[in-house]
Amino acid sequence: MKDFMMIFIGADYQELGLSPEELQTRMGKWFAWGGKMEAAGILKGGEALVSEAKCVSGPNRTVTDGPYTESKEIIGGYYTVSAKDMDAVVEIAQDFPDYDLGGTVEIREIMVFDR
Amino acid sequence: MIKEQELDHLFRHQYGKMVSILTRIFGLSHIETIEDAVQDTFLNASLKWRKEIPENPEAWLTKAAKNRAIDLLRKIKTEHSRILNLSTGPSSIAFNQLFLEHEIEDSQLRMIFTACHPKLKPQDQIAFALKTIAGFSGKEIASALLLKESTVKKRLARARKTIKEKNLVFQLPKDKTFADRLHRVHEVIYLIFNEGFHSNQKEFLIRKDLCGEAIRLSKLILKKESYRTGSGYALFALLCFHASRLESKISEKGKIIDLKNQNRTLWFKPLIQLGKHALSKSEAYPEVSSYYFEAAIAQEHLDAKTFEETDWKKILVLYQNLNLLQETPFTSLNLAIVLLQLNENKKAIKILNSINPKDLEQRSYLYYGSKAEYHKNINEIPEAINCIEMALSMVNNAFEKKYFEEKKSMLKNKQSS
Repeated sequence: MKDFMMIFIGADYQELGLSPEELQTRMGKWFAWGGKMEAAGILKGGEALVSEAKCVSGPNRTVTDGPYTESKEIIGGYYTVSAKDMDAVVEIAQDFPDYDLGGTVEIREIMVFDR
Repeated sequence: MIKEQELDHLFRHQYGKMVSILTRIFGLSHIETIEDAVQDTFLNASLKWRKEIPENPEAWLTKAAKNRAIDLLRKIKTEHSRILNLSTGPSSIAFNQLFLEHEIEDSQLRMIFTACHPKLKPQDQIAFALKTIAGFSGKEIASALLLKESTVKKRLARARKTIKEKNLVFQLPKDKTFADRLHRVHEVIYLIFNEGFHSNQKEFLIRKDLCGEAIRLSKLILKKESYRTGSGYALFALLCFHASRLESKISEKGKIIDLKNQNRTLWFKPLIQLGKHALSKSEAYPEVSSYYFEAAIAQEHLDAKTFEETDWKKILVLYQNLNLLQETPFTSLNLAIVLLQLNENKKAIKILNSINPKDLEQRSYLYYGSKAEYHKNINEIPEAINCIEMALSMVNNAFEKKYFEEKKSMLKNKQSS
């Protein structure tokens, strides 16, 4: 088994102006997805991220306010899961709730450093 | 652990509660800031509850709203200095009291009555009510009322502007104006329900939500003893009766099914019982309302085991009373339809001829459908076919179109035989 990170990009709820009802529905879908992964014993961790951001860049450590990209490119959170291979994670990512809102799941394998 | 399904419409309902309470604290002029703040609370909850729903979700939200309110207060620097020290000290007692159940209800009532303020334009009242009391987004209101989203935004903005410019206060009307306002509140609830119940749109969920909200609001008004009236009970009964048929009104393919063809075993009995109870309560009050007769008619239909067993004579009397109280082209048309069912053709055509089909707007096809029925009853088949063709040229709903087409071919068979 290897570890992977699913990075959730786009579908910023604030930007989209979802109603309380819609927010609740969305939350329910995330809840169900998380529960499913947990029951399968593959979920290792994950967080949701606040959308306000600061960026530090360049030799002068220039600080700028986010959002530094278009809102559809903002990272909203991540999950780490353990799976056989990339294809298995692609399968897991089918249940990501926000594709219809323009969201994207980027899957990256977590590098293991040899001792 | 709390399951997600148990939350029901928690966010939507809690939204209305919180906006109402905070408006009571900070004043109506700050409603836009308040709505944004409450929206933020839900945004937050929707992210935080992904992993785990708190043990007592409602308490979590209330606490978040309270904190949000304190933040707000610092930001707004309101003149309400008496509640400046909200988290501790003597004013915190008054502040916390506002979050008690009956005070929350009181705040919500204030919001409903504010939404129906005569200074607001009628069409703005409905949009404003759906937004602030029921937590619908602009997009949801647009889809529920068959409007453009930009139109809804305009209406909401105009309502907020009027509130500020006319300095409306967040209070329940007193004395003379009260009865008028309550009347309008009933009317707005009735309209919200009708949008959900009668519109021909496909989006079943949003329609169901509209009906549900209307019932919730009309129930909320009956909770307060001094607000109970015959009209209020009759309205609640009417909404229950209609809502009991909601599921049977839509086919699996999303088509609308008329009363005659509905599966009566699908009618939701507990709602019918609730409605009957309310209707009998309304009879204890001296005033009669159009809601009363409408509810009584609905009850007659619900009591008939089959369409053929419908007691048209009773329904006729009820329609006559309704028409006496409040004659509209729709009540007249319904009266004529009942007369046709009873084969009272002369009386029926007299009423039909008094209606201008244009006044029926998108439902004018029903006028021609009824006229066809009249001609068929007195054996004027070519005229009946003409009328069906008129109806067919106007009807949008596919199910009803099919109904008229079948009727037409039946008449053609009759003509050739």
